[in-house]
Amino acid sequence: MQHKLAVLGMVCPFPLIEAKEKIETLSSGDELVIDFDCTQATESIPRWAAESGHSITNYEQLDDASWTITVKKK
Amino acid sequence: MIFTGLLCGALLGFVMQRGRFCLTGGFRDMFLTKDYRMFYALLIAIAIQSIGVFALIQLGLIEFKAGAFAWLGTIIGSFIFGIGIVLSGGCATGTWYRAGEGLIGSWIALFAYMLMSAVMKSGVLVPLNDAFKVYTLPTNSIPATFGISVWPFILILAAVTIYLVVKHLRKPKVAIPALRAKRSGLSHLLFEKRWHPFVTAILVGLIAMLAWPLSEATGRMSGLGITTPSANVLQYLITGNSEKYVNWGVFLVLGILIGSFIAAKASREFRFRAPDAKTTISSFSGGILMGFGASLAGGCSIGNGLVMTAMMTWQGWTSLLFIILGTWTASYFVYVRPRVQAKKQQSTSITTA
Repeated sequence: MQHKLAVLGMVCPFPLIEAKEKIETLSSGDELVIDFDCTQATESIPRWAAESGHSITNYEQLDDASWTITVKKK
Repeated sequence: MIFTGLLCGALLGFVMQRGRFCLTGGFRDMFLTKDYRMFYALLIAIAIQSIGVFALIQLGLIEFKAGAFAWLGTIIGSFIFGIGIVLSGGCATGTWYRAGEGLIGSWIALFAYMLMSAVMKSGVLVPLNDAFKVYTLPTNSIPATFGISVWPFILILAAVTIYLVVKHLRKPKVAIPALRAKRSGLSHLLFEKRWHPFVTAILVGLIAMLAWPLSEATGRMSGLGITTPSANVLQYLITGNSEKYVNWGVFLVLGILIGSFIAAKASREFRFRAPDAKTTISSFSGGILMGFGASLAGGCSIGNGLVMTAMMTWQGWTSLLFIILGTWTASYFVYVRPRVQAKKQQSTSITTA
């Protein structure tokens, strides 16, 4: 199942904190699509995902200072 | 000559934006996730600057006086500053460079920071600021206290830094997914590639060292500084007194904004982003606390945490410690406690249901 997390306009580290909270409620194999525009999260979200063993199925820049990343729960 | 400040600031703003050099995040993550990378990066920047600047002093090229140690103001001010930087989402320098990325929240924090610093330095709160200065110890220099040369201290700092960095780099690495590269060569390196925090730190250390001779050439006898120059911008705008308030430091902070704007624009990371009401209030109150704390402490995370530490002063290292403690305290109340309480509420509602 795919879930969406809208954290546009949030400053760091809140996108990451929201993502961490949200993923706890998902089941293994579910995907979380995170759209964000805080620059630092381009580094902190993939790092968190990799270090906690989740995989990333999509990661791209949508527009100026606007990104989307899909994290698949381990 | 004063324009070298603009150049130095632009370099710093560029490097910090591209390197995501954020001390607030770094101090916070030491507490939240036991991640010490950014703290080690700061140590690298301090050590490089320390070696460089004391070499320049030894050669007689620049002068430095450690002055006195206003310990009470440093302790209380730094702690309050640490709380402020968590609320505003970035330290003083972080706020300047994020303003360059187009974050309106950072513009608000920056304005509050300038305002409160000016209020403390030349406004109604001068008496309060002075009251803390009564509690001052005569010797600020750590080597002077022990009556020995500065070099053994620099050696210890360098050795500790190298040990921690090597230990960190030897840890097994996790492959971190990155955006697909769309550019190549220099353009990829400057505007796309993820910079390792330690590489960024080396560059920050070199820029901090460069700041000393450039600033002293204009008669401003210090290195990087953010708080006084930020206050000076507002003081100049209001009084029109350029002789008193426009100096190398003012050009430095304006340069940070320009450098980070260039970096963000060229890497497609610039966009005006308006905060919601909650973030606005948090940014504004964070800026006020930052300005209050940094003025009382005689410096921010750069002035005290990066520069005065490198100069081996009690003020620098005491301030760094209390900024970190302030950051941890605020992190507990902003991130940890609300989650614990939310969980508690959840479990009570389940049991009562």
